[in-house]
Amino acid sequence: MKKFFLLAFLCFSAISFGQTANAVIDKINAKLTAVKDYTVNANINANIPMIKIMPSNVKIYFKQKDKFKIESKGIVIVPKQGFTELNNFISNKSKYTAVFGENAVIRNVQTRLINVIPNEGAGDIVLAKIWVDVAKSVIMKSQITTLSNGTVNVDYTYGDQISRGLPSIMKFEIDVKKFKIPKSVASDINKSSADKKKTSVNQKTKGTITITLSNYKINTGLSDALFVKKKN
Amino acid sequence: MLLKNTYNEFIKIVAKPRSYLGFGALTLLIAIIIFAMKADGETIVSFITASFEQTLSFNGKLVNGNLIAFIILQMLVVHIPLLVALVTGDLISGEAAMGTVRMLATKPISRTQIVLSKFIAGAIYTLLLTIWLGFLSLFVSHLVFGAGDLIVLNSDGLVILQEADILWRFGLGFCVAFLALLTVATLSICLSAFAENSVGPIVSTMAIIILFTIIGSLDVTVFDTIKPYLFTTHMASWRSFFEDPVPYDSIYQSIIVLLIHIAVLIGITLYKFNKKDITS
Repeated sequence: MKKFFLLAFLCFSAISFGQTANAVIDKINAKLTAVKDYTVNANINANIPMIKIMPSNVKIYFKQKDKFKIESKGIVIVPKQGFTELNNFISNKSKYTAVFGENAVIRNVQTRLINVIPNEGAGDIVLAKIWVDVAKSVIMKSQITTLSNGTVNVDYTYGDQISRGLPSIMKFEIDVKKFKIPKSVASDINKSSADKKKTSVNQKTKGTITITLSNYKINTGLSDALFVKKKN
Repeated sequence: MLLKNTYNEFIKIVAKPRSYLGFGALTLLIAIIIFAMKADGETIVSFITASFEQTLSFNGKLVNGNLIAFIILQMLVVHIPLLVALVTGDLISGEAAMGTVRMLATKPISRTQIVLSKFIAGAIYTLLLTIWLGFLSLFVSHLVFGAGDLIVLNSDGLVILQEADILWRFGLGFCVAFLALLTVATLSICLSAFAENSVGPIVSTMAIIILFTIIGSLDVTVFDTIKPYLFTTHMASWRSFFEDPVPYDSIYQSIIVLLIHIAVLIGITLYKFNKKDITS
């Protein structure tokens, strides 16, 4: 009975909105898979409770399907997931069921929510929600929930590479509730116990990492050797 | 006369084999730390970043010369006072034990100047030890590991400092570390004025440091009122230069507390040595 209702709901959705959720994802995939590789300059600005780091400029390399590398002079912090996982996940239709959700307006753009529910044995992702600008076939916002890393929200802003589905700004919202400081290492003996308690109460639970991307160089034929990790 | 006597006192320090023990021990300890970090530095760093790495990914050269220098400073700040006290704890009591204090007091120099010259000579020795520590930890670490951003963990969280923004912090950090070690040197000289042998002041200095450090590290509210007055609380204030923003107010406070300790301890030493009966 439940399956019948779900099927009826999916049919109703497809008829009423002109195309299925899968068809919308197909269009996004078509754009993304056309980009075989890219190099882009990025400015990473992390605003995370318990971590103080200056904004830094790096170079990001990407090659289909999931090769990813960040080249930086110093230490940079990036979200553990959110760069390639979503694109990989939605690129394999056999791994999920896509269902339309509600309409939403994101930064004055009309979007449709698509709930991407993994099929059995699909891996770490529990649920992916993507808000899609259907007219331009780009993801405006995503919310990925994984078994290992909890939920990560990403906002996408597009610039001159919108036709290829590549964002100019990605804003990650990070859950920092799991962050713990090993006491034996952080030996601030000049802080009183009251100061330490005050610090722990004031901690926020959400942080953001804003990555501003510019100067995309697309399909230049990046070598696989570029992505091999070198030992320090 | 003070300068001449200071020179003589420094020659006495240089002539003692135990004065080189500190330099030797520092060299060996730092060599061991550098070897350990070279062999397994990534694992040690992952211990710091473990809880963050569930959500975040750290890119770049985490194990570098700056981090190693910081770790060395952090590890050795507990042990260096012993190396300092080993020499400075002997400055007055050593003279008493050998019986040379009488001869010293017959010189055409006041007892106050004798104490001050010993204090200055001890301060020079402490400075040389601090410079040696700085040279080994910074220069050798950079030679082995190269430069890079510094990742520091304190009770508020992680602070990642850019490479260009680090050297001045080490410079000022070493200055405050020197002041902290000078307090230890002054304490041992002070205790040395009360003793007739060298072992007592050295052991007493270390006992006081251990006791105060334990009180300082105990996370108990009842000790919060006395912690700001313990010099050991301020011995770690060199670390504050690696916070962002730098808490200058608390550093100034630490410097003042350490200077007051030095002044009071010199005062006690002068009083005791001037009253000391050297005839019996």
